[in-house]
Amino acid sequence: MISAAKKMYTPSPIAFVIPKGFPAPPTNIFAKNKLTEEGFQLGKKLFYDARLSKDGEVSCASCHQQFAGFATYDHDLSHGVNNSFSKRNAPALINLAWMKEWHWDGGINHLENQPLSPLSAPNEMGEKLDTVLIKIKADTDYSHLFLKAFGDANITTERMLKAMTQFTGSLVSANSKYDKVKRGEATFILPEEKGYEIFKANCNSCHKEPLFTDNSFRNNGITLNRFGDVGRQAITQDKTDSLKFKVPTLRNIALTLPYLHDGRMQSLDNVINHYTSLDTSIINLDPLLKKKILLSDKEKKQLTLFLYTLTDTSFTKNKRYAP
Amino acid sequence: MNKFIFFIGVIAFSNSAFAQKKKTYCTVVFETIVNGKKIVLNDSNYTNAFNEKYTVSKLKFYVSNIHLINPTNNKIKKTVYLIDASKTNTIKVSSSNNKIKGISFLLGVDSLDNCSGAQSGALDPLNDMFWTWNNGYIMFKLEGKSGSSKADNNRIEHHIGGYKGANKTMRKIFLPIAENYFKKNNIITIQLNLDSYWKGINQLQIAETAVITTPGGLAKKAADNFEGMFLIKE
Repeated sequence: MISAAKKMYTPSPIAFVIPKGFPAPPTNIFAKNKLTEEGFQLGKKLFYDARLSKDGEVSCASCHQQFAGFATYDHDLSHGVNNSFSKRNAPALINLAWMKEWHWDGGINHLENQPLSPLSAPNEMGEKLDTVLIKIKADTDYSHLFLKAFGDANITTERMLKAMTQFTGSLVSANSKYDKVKRGEATFILPEEKGYEIFKANCNSCHKEPLFTDNSFRNNGITLNRFGDVGRQAITQDKTDSLKFKVPTLRNIALTLPYLHDGRMQSLDNVINHYTSLDTSIINLDPLLKKKILLSDKEKKQLTLFLYTLTDTSFTKNKRYAP
Repeated sequence: MNKFIFFIGVIAFSNSAFAQKKKTYCTVVFETIVNGKKIVLNDSNYTNAFNEKYTVSKLKFYVSNIHLINPTNNKIKKTVYLIDASKTNTIKVSSSNNKIKGISFLLGVDSLDNCSGAQSGALDPLNDMFWTWNNGYIMFKLEGKSGSSKADNNRIEHHIGGYKGANKTMRKIFLPIAENYFKKNNIITIQLNLDSYWKGINQLQIAETAVITTPGGLAKKAADNFEGMFLIKE
C-alpha cells in the first residue's frame, strides 16, 4: 500500500534541451537536482509568491518581469520592501544555465544559492529564511506541491531552493529573429545585416554569440557610482577587479532598459555612445576596449536595428513561464 | 617450509579476528574553554592576552573530515558537523581497532561543499553560517561584546570564512593521542581554547580587529590561529 501511494507521487522527469547552435553549459546545474515537471511548477509558484517577502508585497517576479526579459522594465534600481531601493539594476534571467557565477559581481557560486540573497536582503524581499519556511509550511497548497515534486511533503531550504532553480534554470531564450536567421528560417533586412557586421567587428568578443555574453567580468570604463559599488572587487578582494561587472547578455536587450549594473543609461543610444566616446586612457579599462570604436550615426542605427533582432517574444510571452 | 606457511596463516587469522572483535566506536566530544574554564555564553567577562575584557554571545564552527589515525588506516569521515558552544557536541566515529595514535579533522568546510548549491543538515543556510552575497560558508563564528571594541555597540563580530586560493580559511588540525589515553570508555575530548585564538601565530587585538566579516587578509590572519586553539583534554 505504501509503495503504491508513493508511486502516485513519482515526479515526471523533463529534459533540459540545449538549443541548436548553443554550447553545452559549463556545468550541469541540474546534476543533483533532477528536472521534473512538478519541481518546475513548484519553483514557478515560489517565484511568483509575494508572501515570501517581509511585507507580502514583493515577489521574485516583482523585479524579474517576464515581459521585460525577466529584468525590471524602466527602473534603474529595484524596489524592495518598505519602499526601499536596491543598489543594482535587476539582471535579466535569461539562459542562466550557461553561467558559472551569478549576479553583477559573480558573488553567487551556484544557481541554487541565488534566491537566498534577494529573499534576505533588507532592501529586496527583506525576510528571514526561517520565516520564509514557516510561511510555506503553513500553506497546504505547498505541502501538496512539495509532495508531488519530491515524493514526500517534507519542506526544507534545500528543496525550496532546488525547486526555484528548476524554474529559473529553465528560462531559455533562443528563438529571436537572430536565431531564426541562423537556422535559415528568416532573413535579415539590409540594415540589420549591416548592423550584424558592425556587431561582429566591435562587440562580439565580450558579448559573444550565441549567448551574447562570455560571462566574464570586465571594466567598461564607467565611473564609480554614488554607492561606491566596486563590483567584482568586493568579491575577490583584488584591486585589479575594481569596477569590473559581469558582461550581460544582449538577448532581449530592447526590453531590459535601462542599462548597466546601476541602470545609469536609459537607452541603447546612451550605451553605444558610451563605447564610441570612451576615454581609452582609463586605468583598469578592459584591454579589449583600448582600441577605439568609431561608428557613424548611420552605423549606430544599423547596430541598434541588429540588437532589436535579439528580442524573443516566444520567450517573453511563453505561457509556461507565466504565473 | 610447512612451518612457515602455518605461521603466516595464524597471523592472518588472528589479524582478521582481532579486527572483527576490536571494531570499536569512539565518541569525540568538543568543548570550548577560555581562561581555564568552560565558556558560558552571555555570562562572564573574559580577558585575552592583551588584557581586553569581553563576553561571548555566540561561538560556532564547522568540523569535517574527521579521521581517527591508527595502524590500519581508518577511513576519513566526510560528514560535516556544526559545533555550537551553547550545546553538547558529541560525534560518534567508528574505528577498525582501538590503537588510535591521533585524530585529525578539518576546521571548516572543504571547497567542494562551499560551492555545491543548496544543502541540508549542518550545511543548511538556516544555521546562519552561509554568506548569501558572496557565497561560501562561515567556517568559524565568534560574536560578543567588549569595551575595547571600536565597532558599533562595542560589538565583536568575527565571521571567518573564504574557501578560495590564498584566502582560504579552513585548516587541517592534527592532534596526537597518547598510548594510555583511553581508559574505560572510548571518549576523545577535544578542547578549543579561545585564549589561543586572540594570541597565536598572529595577534588579534579586539581594539584593532573587532569586526571581520568578509574573506580576505584579515580572515586569513585569524584562521592561521585556528591550529593552535585545539588540544586533547587530559
